[in-house]
Amino acid sequence: MTTTRRGLLATAALAPLAAPVATAQPRRILIGYQLPLTGEFSQYGERFRNSALMALDAFNRSGRLPVPVEIVFEDTRSDPREAVAVARKFVDNREIVAVLGDFSSSASIQAGRVYAEAGMPQLSQTASHPDFVKISPWQFRNITTQAYEGPRVAEWMRENGVRRVAVVAIQNDWGQSVVSNFAEAFRAGGGEMVATQFFNPGNREFRAILTEIARARPDAIYIGMFYEDGAAFLQQRRQLNIRTPVYATSSLYEPKLVELAGAGAEGVFLSTTFMATSPEPHVRAYVEEYRRRFGSEPNMFSAQAFDAVNILLEAIVRAWPEVTRARVRDELAKTRDFPGVTGVTTFDPETREPAKTLARMRIENGQFVLLR
Amino acid sequence: MFDRFDIFFVQQLINGFSVGLVYALVAIGFTLIFGVLNVVNFAHGEIYMIGAYAGLLAIVFLAPPWVALILLVLAAGIAAGVALERAAFKPFRRFRDEASLKSKAMRESTLLSSLAISIVVRESVEKIFGADMQAIPRAYADAMQDPIVLGELAVASGQIAILAAALVMFATLQWILKRTDIGLSIRAVAANPLGAQYVGVNVDRTVIATFAIGSGMGAVAGILIGLYQGTIFPAMGFAPGVKAFVAMVMGGLNSIPGAVICAIVLGLAEAVATEFFGQGWADLVAYVFLVLTLVFFPTGLFGAGRERV
Repeated sequence: MTTTRRGLLATAALAPLAAPVATAQPRRILIGYQLPLTGEFSQYGERFRNSALMALDAFNRSGRLPVPVEIVFEDTRSDPREAVAVARKFVDNREIVAVLGDFSSSASIQAGRVYAEAGMPQLSQTASHPDFVKISPWQFRNITTQAYEGPRVAEWMRENGVRRVAVVAIQNDWGQSVVSNFAEAFRAGGGEMVATQFFNPGNREFRAILTEIARARPDAIYIGMFYEDGAAFLQQRRQLNIRTPVYATSSLYEPKLVELAGAGAEGVFLSTTFMATSPEPHVRAYVEEYRRRFGSEPNMFSAQAFDAVNILLEAIVRAWPEVTRARVRDELAKTRDFPGVTGVTTFDPETREPAKTLARMRIENGQFVLLR
Repeated sequence: MFDRFDIFFVQQLINGFSVGLVYALVAIGFTLIFGVLNVVNFAHGEIYMIGAYAGLLAIVFLAPPWVALILLVLAAGIAAGVALERAAFKPFRRFRDEASLKSKAMRESTLLSSLAISIVVRESVEKIFGADMQAIPRAYADAMQDPIVLGELAVASGQIAILAAALVMFATLQWILKRTDIGLSIRAVAANPLGAQYVGVNVDRTVIATFAIGSGMGAVAGILIGLYQGTIFPAMGFAPGVKAFVAMVMGGLNSIPGAVICAIVLGLAEAVATEFFGQGWADLVAYVFLVLTLVFFPTGLFGAGRERV
């Protein structure tokens, strides 16, 4: 006991002398990961942790750094208040050089204010609210928003000769952003928006909306909603015998959509960043290892986290040997053409918004088929 | 504005009519139970949901023919209704003295007990089956969801089935109420429970029979609408339940024909509102109708008559 205490005192006395040496050659590098491991969003946090462990193990095995990297996982239930508490804890731990998470935009934003003040780089795999990256130059995200997706769908439609579009979206912040981002780009390209309809969340009766937009005789319908609403919409479109092609937001990429909508889902166009059935070798390797290790199918959320961890590890490698919070931030901002399972990713050094290749898919014979 | 009165407007009226029939199908059982007990059965939406899940389980495990499916669901609904009555309503009828029978407080306690049962049932189903929409085997879903194209207009096979079901239910109910002994006692209890008891009507048995009939119909509505819309999930009873309630109040609380007519009016109003103002306004129009009815016809549009149920 006494020896330990004396030992501690000795270390404390030597600490100021040892400090410069320690920064030059840390024995390990720590990353914080705040995520929901309990509560109603725990299934997402579970996926993030699984993917993070996979990425970390592979990285440490590769021996690209002479010291191991470790991740400290802290549960926030994705609750903004707990997110702040965890953020303070991470900031106070001088060993932590960067933070991943949180899950929801609101938790990420609250934690982000703490990180902005303390100067800690933060990379969220899922926070898609426009305000998140506007907090400070310390915030990054690895998820594309409608500001990115909308213009690309507009371009896709133009390539397919679509001139007149009707848009149907859910009445919430996200649905509004689907419509505004798409409409701006589509009009800029000379297209015409012939009808716009918002529906109340919880509404599954789309016949009146469908009839209303069918009158405008659009070349295509663009829908911004989640897969359950989408299934009802597509199924009712078939009942009303409306044969207008449908383009959908990436949120409809969910195998259950086809199960629920049946023949109604045939021919729908949609884009996505992650496709579990992709033939690309690195995606297949990820999907197979995830399946083997955790006995479940990875989805878009697991993939986003996997790439986020790898992007951060790459930034740390580039910062080596001077791995400080400021250096890691600067290196994160230089992320270019990162070959992730959610597409080739580049961070805009100014806005810190990601750009990714969006894969184009079509539902054919009940399958999501990659279009070339 | 007038250029909107074209073939699409006709389609819109068909859409609205079919939505109204969905509300009507739920409202029939709901109004019957209200008419007899003079209290809202908040668990009717859950009976509707149980009907859909019972039907879905039967489809997945037995794949029965349609008639057998409907009978199975009817049986499940009757069982659920009787159990509901036993758990949420019977305990508040255990006193036979006149003061208790007339007591509003005793009756209104069942508002809360039925609400409690509805929450427990919904949450349990959520725990067992999950909160998301259930996939329906294709053969059954397609039978209710196939389009029938008539020139520029289109209806779904399920809409025909729901129209037929509404007519059959309405007619059966009228026949039960007007032509059978149990119907006579239901009408007697509805008109005056105390008086009915004095002339020898078994009130308990009548109330149970009312729940059996109303819940059986609610459950059949659940499976038909669930298959037709392709949306079977634990909270599915909420939205049509609210609209059925509005239709019942507009119709005058205890008039079944009134509730059916008002349900169809609501459906049409919603479709026309979507046509002119967008879907976000459709609910508002429905509630404006309700408020106008209550202001100008405080007893509802069809509630002036003395005959209950």
